[in-house]
Amino acid sequence: MSDAPIFRPGFRLLGFSAAEIVVLALFAFLMVLPVVSLFVGSFNIASPTQPAAYGFRNWITAFSDPKTLDALGLSFLFSIVRLGPSLLLAVLVAWLIARTDMPGGHVVEVACWFAFFVPDFPLTLAWILLLDPTYGFLNTALKSLPFIEEAPFDPYTFWGIVWVHMGTGGIWFKVMLLTPLFRRMGATLEEAARVAGANTFTTLRRVTIPVLSPMIFAVGVLGFIRGLESFNTELLLGLPAGIYVYGTRIYDYLQEEPAQYGAATALGSVFLVVLAVLAFLYRRYFQADRKFAVVTGQGYSTMRVRLGRWRYVALSGVILYFAVMMVLPLVFLVIGSFMRRYGFFNLDDPFTFSHWQNLFRDPVFLGSLTNSLMIAGMTAVMGVIAYSSVGYMLASPRPMRSRGILEFLCWLPWVIPGILLGLGLLWIFLATPLSVFLYGTIFGIALALTIQDSPVSTQAFKSGFLQLGRDLEEAARVSGASWRYTYFRILLPLVAPVALTIGMLNFGSAMTTISIPVLLYSAQSRPLSILLLEYSFSGELERGAALGLLITVIICAMIVVGRRFGLLDLSRSGGGRNQTRGDAG
Amino acid sequence: MMSDVVLEFRDVLKRFGGTIIVDHVSFTVNRGEFFTLLGPSGCGKTTTLRLIAGLEVPDGGEIVLDGQTLAAPAAGICLPPDKRNLGMMFQSYAIWPHLSVFENVAFPLRVRRVPEPDIARKVTEALELVGLTGMEGRGATQLSGGQQQRVALARAVVYTPSLLLLDEPLSNLDVKLREQMRMELRALQRRLDLTVIYVTHDQSEAMSLSDRVAVVNKGRFEQVGTPQEVYERPRKRFVGDFLGRTIIVRGIVRGAASERWVELPGAERIAVPPETGAGVTDGTRVRVLCRPEEVTLLPGGESGPNQVTGRIETVTYMGDHLEYTIRAAELELLMTASKKTPHAVGAEVRLQFDPQAVTILP
Repeated sequence: MSDAPIFRPGFRLLGFSAAEIVVLALFAFLMVLPVVSLFVGSFNIASPTQPAAYGFRNWITAFSDPKTLDALGLSFLFSIVRLGPSLLLAVLVAWLIARTDMPGGHVVEVACWFAFFVPDFPLTLAWILLLDPTYGFLNTALKSLPFIEEAPFDPYTFWGIVWVHMGTGGIWFKVMLLTPLFRRMGATLEEAARVAGANTFTTLRRVTIPVLSPMIFAVGVLGFIRGLESFNTELLLGLPAGIYVYGTRIYDYLQEEPAQYGAATALGSVFLVVLAVLAFLYRRYFQADRKFAVVTGQGYSTMRVRLGRWRYVALSGVILYFAVMMVLPLVFLVIGSFMRRYGFFNLDDPFTFSHWQNLFRDPVFLGSLTNSLMIAGMTAVMGVIAYSSVGYMLASPRPMRSRGILEFLCWLPWVIPGILLGLGLLWIFLATPLSVFLYGTIFGIALALTIQDSPVSTQAFKSGFLQLGRDLEEAARVSGASWRYTYFRILLPLVAPVALTIGMLNFGSAMTTISIPVLLYSAQSRPLSILLLEYSFSGELERGAALGLLITVIICAMIVVGRRFGLLDLSRSGGGRNQTRGDAG
Repeated sequence: MMSDVVLEFRDVLKRFGGTIIVDHVSFTVNRGEFFTLLGPSGCGKTTTLRLIAGLEVPDGGEIVLDGQTLAAPAAGICLPPDKRNLGMMFQSYAIWPHLSVFENVAFPLRVRRVPEPDIARKVTEALELVGLTGMEGRGATQLSGGQQQRVALARAVVYTPSLLLLDEPLSNLDVKLREQMRMELRALQRRLDLTVIYVTHDQSEAMSLSDRVAVVNKGRFEQVGTPQEVYERPRKRFVGDFLGRTIIVRGIVRGAASERWVELPGAERIAVPPETGAGVTDGTRVRVLCRPEEVTLLPGGESGPNQVTGRIETVTYMGDHLEYTIRAAELELLMTASKKTPHAVGAEVRLQFDPQAVTILP
């Protein structure tokens, strides 16, 4: 025993221990530097490869261009217009699932959960197949009717983009957030109203909705902020029609010859400030004064609203919505991938396997598949390692001065849209001597994706460790196990469900995100999501449909396996971010 | 039993932020002793236990186990928990849910690289000791609260630690099981001749289990002694109160040395045993403490020696006994008494004190 290692309260600087300083420095570097580089870059009027020169020219150029202001305005308009119907619908569906006797509520809930994971880019492609003015199936079908001459639908419009968003991740995510709130609302609150003489409807109007309204509002604000960050659908549908939101405008600036880095960073900086202010207010308003407290009262409500005959109407409505927004586009994605030439149903032999065969023979596809799997794998592994350690530190009951700072750093990427993170990192990647390892490499992309995963992953691990409690760990230490032995034998197995869930979520989001790799990839590191973008821009719709379907199938296979093992339960991993995509309309 | 010191605290200090949790505490625990830390929640008793285990780092003083310094912040020494060779049972039991009963108990042996056949033998023995033979293969989550508690105990004693730490081990059990476990725990401690430090807020647990009790309040050890000493001769008001109901009257000490008494407001007197109130001189105002069960309630009449007259103010029916508030010696006293000879509200009564059972405090 005498030669046992001795712990000495070690070196401290400003009250921080050495380990804290290392962790804080690393995270400050990863989370803050992209933002700083974006701001600094916006004042750098030289091009990235030349020595820096500072001035306001970028800002003047960007904001004297009406297109910039239009893009900013349109971003807000899109997010607001989408918010109303999607929030209303989500509240309605959540209420039907949790508080009424609508049959099949559980199945609807699972379906919404599933729909949330379906990547939006293939869905958007499917809506093109359905709604394109020249070859879209719905248009050609309607035009064949005698009295319709013009194509009635056009997806490449403001309302087209809004429509597609009504079926992608955001709305399903809102249902997933709201359903447990409706379900958990303290039964006694409603029962008290009933005993006091209120009928079902009065109770709903005077108690249930008012009590839940702060949270419905919170979900709405969350949806609005996420909606501002929406990118994929706007890129695919907006670009052909010249409809730009700020994200696609930044993308466009960088596609010009020569690339307009200055204007892009100036626009990005403005938007980041806007988002930061919104996010700050959101946090302050909803987390400071515990508006949520009243709702988590004891006792789950068993009292359900009887809809009578209306319950079948409600169920039919939900099924219809699901069929139109999810099943219909996926079916046409399948059809599209098997058609010789999409839209030409009257050919002698309209169906073929050739797109799939060509896809799997295409070395570009095979390279991209490898890239994507490696990027997603690296993202998942790096995220689990980094954020499990941070989550462990944040869950520590010991007073730690760095906790607040660390929590803030890990939350910061929450306000950084993927395209801006990509832009900020692009500057760093180009400027550092390590650019060989970072710029245009799969590691650089994986690093960027890992940074973006920080907020949800950190929170999930933190609550995971908090749930475990310290006793299990301490019991192992007192039993004689070293810290390392305890970590591998006790902590890691116990936190494994959280780690696997986070790993899978981050893997899925890495497979489908476009906004981050779109500025960071090169021909050698091109992932599948970018290849899909190229196919759809070059008009290779059939092959694009096949690829989109393939990505969807990979994601679905993953979540089916995850569900089988009881993983991916988002309500428990405290997800605040729409994880598989950057948008929520 | 005395003199063979296992654990020693020398002026140990622990702060959380600006609050002092363990306030310059010194005590020793002897080999084979059942030593209890008794106090209300938040008094620092659990922190004291965690300081011994190495789960907290002290801010001052020294902790010595079997002659080896476990922690001495001044010298920069703090042995990590896994190097202290202790057994500990947590209030939550801390049974690892992903391991079977066998693996939970085998854990301390595995980390000590005990050979496999010995592990099997020792685990079987430990489980037999706590009455869980045949449960080896069960998952920890399939156990009842009482069974989990036994697993935790088996895990804590399986490698014969030099010191067994128990943190409110019985508090999560129902009353009946608690009584049973209490007896089993005491029997086990005697059989294995274990040195035990036991943390509880339940005074009856402390009384029935311990060789010595330390009554802890606000980070200080108010009194350390045998259960009988701390119960019958509390040296502080807090100790008397915390260990159960106390009757307190005020008066002035008269006389000296072997012949002393306390004069109460109504000119009544209570004799004081010589062993209490050392240093209290003639004419000092004091409080006289006595346990209600040492006071006999007599019907009204002429006040005799060691008797105080009073009047019943309220009577409360408590099921197996009656509870009275009595106005006596210008104070309101709370007394329990048998149902056999009930007294009505307003009745005159006499309180007969046993001089051998009273304690005086300045």
